[in-house]
Amino acid sequence: MNTLSTEEMERFQKLSNEFEPDVQVRGFRLIPHQNNPADTRWQGPLVSTKQSTQAIAIDYANADPTLVTKTSTLALTHPTSRIMKGDGNCGWRAVAFGYFENLFALRDLVLIQNELVRIKSLSNLLDQVGHQDYLYEIFVDATEQVFTQLIQAIQDGIRDDSFLIDTFNVEYSSNAILTHFRLLTGAWMKLNPQRYQAFIPMPLDQYCATRIETVKSEIDEVGLQALIDGVIERSGFAVEILYLDRSQGDAVTPHLLTTNQTSIETIRLLYRPGHYDLLYRPEPTVNMEPVVNYQYAMTSNYSPWDQGALSFDVNPTLMSIPNLMMDPAFAMGAAPMSPAPISPPAPSSPYRVSSPHEVYQAQIPTSPPPPPVQMPSPPAPRMSAPSGPPPPMSSLPNRPSDGPQIRLNPLVMKPNLSRSLPITTPFKNSPYNQAHFQNQDFEPIHWEPSDSRK
Amino acid sequence: MGSQKRIAKELAELVDSPPEGIKVELANEADLYDWKVYLNGPESSPFHNGTFLVKLKFPNEYPFKPPAVNFATKIYHPNVTNDDKGSMCLGMLRPDEWKPSSRVVAVLQFARQLLAEPMPDDAVEGRIAEQYKNDRARYEEVARDWTRRYANEKA
Repeated sequence: MNTLSTEEMERFQKLSNEFEPDVQVRGFRLIPHQNNPADTRWQGPLVSTKQSTQAIAIDYANADPTLVTKTSTLALTHPTSRIMKGDGNCGWRAVAFGYFENLFALRDLVLIQNELVRIKSLSNLLDQVGHQDYLYEIFVDATEQVFTQLIQAIQDGIRDDSFLIDTFNVEYSSNAILTHFRLLTGAWMKLNPQRYQAFIPMPLDQYCATRIETVKSEIDEVGLQALIDGVIERSGFAVEILYLDRSQGDAVTPHLLTTNQTSIETIRLLYRPGHYDLLYRPEPTVNMEPVVNYQYAMTSNYSPWDQGALSFDVNPTLMSIPNLMMDPAFAMGAAPMSPAPISPPAPSSPYRVSSPHEVYQAQIPTSPPPPPVQMPSPPAPRMSAPSGPPPPMSSLPNRPSDGPQIRLNPLVMKPNLSRSLPITTPFKNSPYNQAHFQNQDFEPIHWEPSDSRK
Repeated sequence: MGSQKRIAKELAELVDSPPEGIKVELANEADLYDWKVYLNGPESSPFHNGTFLVKLKFPNEYPFKPPAVNFATKIYHPNVTNDDKGSMCLGMLRPDEWKPSSRVVAVLQFARQLLAEPMPDDAVEGRIAEQYKNDRARYEEVARDWTRRYANEKA
């Protein structure tokens, strides 16, 4: 009966041996296309250029419905993203790149000079934990060189950030900068053991030696928090993680890692299990109106949320428990808490350019944060916003100096806000989902006879 | 490149104040990335009175990749390959455990310490490791014999 030749049998045996199923995590495809060369997380440059977040949504088009919905929503709320290579440094690289990128976008030479001085002064943390300067100076040099590049580029009127992408794609400078940040993080942890020891499964010195100070060990939540606490936070930048997971909800779960009341910019990280990328809010010039539900856009973009007005304790320890964020009550509080206004990451904002000093002073401790405002200021018509036409986005000048701006609408107080958002439900069956046949990126799944033989 | 600067400083430190039982020189004056190291066998070990030539080669990616350590002198040791390469790669010398902030002097002290205290569970020579664990006297006898035969050149 067997009509196949031995050669063919061997060939099939070989195919069978080499067959690798798609990566399955708990029965669903959490990490799509891990072996797909098109997925830039595994094959691409160390830091990619900005790309449409649609690409991420397309990756998940046929995945679990929760992920489809979340990535589709994400592509609207954060239309661009930057993919980090998944080489064990993605989290470190995303934060470091996001830090320099935001410095460049703000184009504030005084701020950059101050940051250079601050980062260099952190070398005394390294000295305090016993690193010798001849061992770490080349890493500091590499970081300093980036600052020099930023200053030079701004003085030359360059707005294109490709020099920064290039620097982060050169293996040596990328490694050196990340090693610098790693060493600072390790030193910070060793000098503040009480903050971190309880959260790590081994002695702190061993943790730093095996997880932080190595060349390619992936950052974990504790390390990320320490990197933010020790290196980033005092820049005045906020850092926000958006968790893409299968937890309940229709949008990625945001979590703020910084505690600044006001921040001059926000570094936004997209977290998928084991991987970090960078995300960007819409540029101010992008007209989102036909797409995004106004209520959502407004409530999620409000500048500094007054913590006193929140119904729960914004305790950083509490907030760092990821599962808490799945609780709708917490998720609701967390989204508006994002302190960064919709305001332009791009340098085109006249506000940023004309008054850098004002922005910078916002973080000087001698000027206390504005007292909690109990919000009744908005005119009555706006309270009934759900039915009325919303104001154009450009009319929301969320300036830090204005103090917290809270304009509640009835939806905000609903405990099940995230479930009631009109933005969400249509997407499963709408053309914005790549799996929908009317989507421009829709690709039907073809059945191929060869598929069944694999 | 930054790695040159750093290697030069580490070399200067080692030449100025050499640690016990370790002597360092460049294999070739024109190449900072290629070192010759002479290790004296630790007193407590069967390698005592032997001088072992170790070649230390820095990769271009140094300090983001560890230097390669190779025994040019034949040695009877569970953690050194018994071939013409004489490679030793464990602990801090593994790329995934390597820290860019590690000092070369620590690498050399680690290598010398390994002569006194082999790590049979991380052995590259399984037979020697077995013997080290089960028949220490015989191991030391062979190691001493090899040391006399191969490691007696004065540096």
